[in-house]
Amino acid sequence: MPIFKGKIRPVWIIPILISLMAIPLLFHLTQTIFNPQTQNAKEVLCSPGTPGHFLGCDFLGRDNFSRLLSGSYVSLGIGLMVGLFSTVIGTLWGVFSGASGGAVDQVMMRILEVWFALPEILIATILLLVLGHGAMAVVVALTFGGWMGVARVVRGETLRIREQLYMEASRSVGTRPVSMILKHFIPNLLPVMGVLLLFRIPGGILGESTLSFLGLGISPPHSSWGTLVNEGFKALPMTPWVLVWPALAIVGTLLSFQWIAEKIGSSS
Amino acid sequence: MKRLQGRFLGAIFLLWAVFTLTFFLSRFAPGNPFSGDRKLPPEIMANLLAYYHLDRPLGVQYLEGLKHAIEGNFGMSFKNPGLSVNDIISRALPVSLTLGGVALLESLVLALFMGLAIVLSGKKTASAIRFFSTSLVALPSFLLATVLIAVFSSYMGLLPPALWEGWRSLVLPSLSISLAPAGYLARVFATSLEETLASPFYQAARGHGISRGFLLVRHLVFPSLNGLLSILGPLAASLLTGSFVVESIFAIPGLGRVFVLSVMNRDYPMIMGTTMVYTVLLALMTLLGDWIIERVDPRIRAV
Repeated sequence: MPIFKGKIRPVWIIPILISLMAIPLLFHLTQTIFNPQTQNAKEVLCSPGTPGHFLGCDFLGRDNFSRLLSGSYVSLGIGLMVGLFSTVIGTLWGVFSGASGGAVDQVMMRILEVWFALPEILIATILLLVLGHGAMAVVVALTFGGWMGVARVVRGETLRIREQLYMEASRSVGTRPVSMILKHFIPNLLPVMGVLLLFRIPGGILGESTLSFLGLGISPPHSSWGTLVNEGFKALPMTPWVLVWPALAIVGTLLSFQWIAEKIGSSS
Repeated sequence: MKRLQGRFLGAIFLLWAVFTLTFFLSRFAPGNPFSGDRKLPPEIMANLLAYYHLDRPLGVQYLEGLKHAIEGNFGMSFKNPGLSVNDIISRALPVSLTLGGVALLESLVLALFMGLAIVLSGKKTASAIRFFSTSLVALPSFLLATVLIAVFSSYMGLLPPALWEGWRSLVLPSLSISLAPAGYLARVFATSLEETLASPFYQAARGHGISRGFLLVRHLVFPSLNGLLSILGPLAASLLTGSFVVESIFAIPGLGRVFVLSVMNRDYPMIMGTTMVYTVLLALMTLLGDWIIERVDPRIRAV
């Protein structure tokens, strides 16, 4: 793993900061000092640096820092889960399709093609209508729309692995298909899966924040990066600060994922 | 010819499959188009359902819908009384086509320039542009739109923040749609350019002493376009049918907005109509992309 031997790069600061932000949530500090729902009519839209609110307050006098903390927790959590689920589902589909070959492969690829042609927002909206607007509903909706790309890449990689000499050796001694997948395909696919996961997590974060921004995903008063940007956009005529913090969080996170994925992708 | 026939049959299959899936998916959502706003008396509800044929068995509804869709008629909208789906689409589609077309053009031009700049400039500049294009990919369009409105409309007052009135209202929305695809396309293009630069045929052409301009266009850019073109089809389809996000932020009366509103209202005929427009465009653009690749790249034609 050459990435971990390299120098400490500025890129790493952002994920570290974000993981630090998760700590107060893990210790339930949001119920006490950093409660994101406490309103204070005297401090509506107070500027950053006000005692007690070092990132300022929103239009209901709620502390921006606390709201950003709980929003980060929701957005990052959803992004991680969407990334994991869509990578796993996509990999299973791709391996099975590529390893079977023949008619099974043809049918599975056709299904994939049709799924790709369905507008993502149609699937997401219908699923959210069925499942409600909770965090898990958003995860399911985004996973349903996000696993196909993974499946396509994994299938291509599986076809490449299938032609290797060690696979022929394995086939010639009569290894059963199931253990073939578990012992040969999956371990060889792990590097690709890692890179795909790093692309799918920011995809999930982006999807969640877009849905919530539009009011289709996480709905107020719960905070996520999407709802925070929405609130910041509404507060824009009065103060830019409510918008600035969640915007920085989203861009910083997405950028760092992008860069890390690229570094790993080019070194492997 | 045979390959074209196969593609065509594939596209027909795709249309049918998307129609079927969309039909049953939209019926799968709870409630019906009239269960929303207020409670209707059961008799009126029954009458409404009967009027729109929603009381018939699902299979019958499906066959009816399929028959009408083949004739190109998607029926009347449930939520916009007196307007047919075709009317609404023919009003919203040109808006989305204009916006998407401009955005597509912008992202292509930007991508071509950035791609060429990455390959042709010095090491420092190249890595700076590479870094910039990667960053563009990570910019969410809704955030870009909000920041652009904040800077250029709220604070500087240069461009309109919303609505659809003349070319000035095209600038901000098209920019917020096009930057992320531009970054992605630039990276794909740069990768294929690098491959071409290293290839024997390029070296040979350079060795022949062809003029620099001709060398660049015919032997470097043209052979490197296929990576770009193969992702251009789906991208063009999604840009041309409208971005729901950007259209709703800028209050643009395009197809993307119509589509999502119809999903939320369970306006079945509207959902069907807009989805089919999207799929037809997707199939057309993919075919077009393949056709252009064949035109530009003799290596594909030879196979």
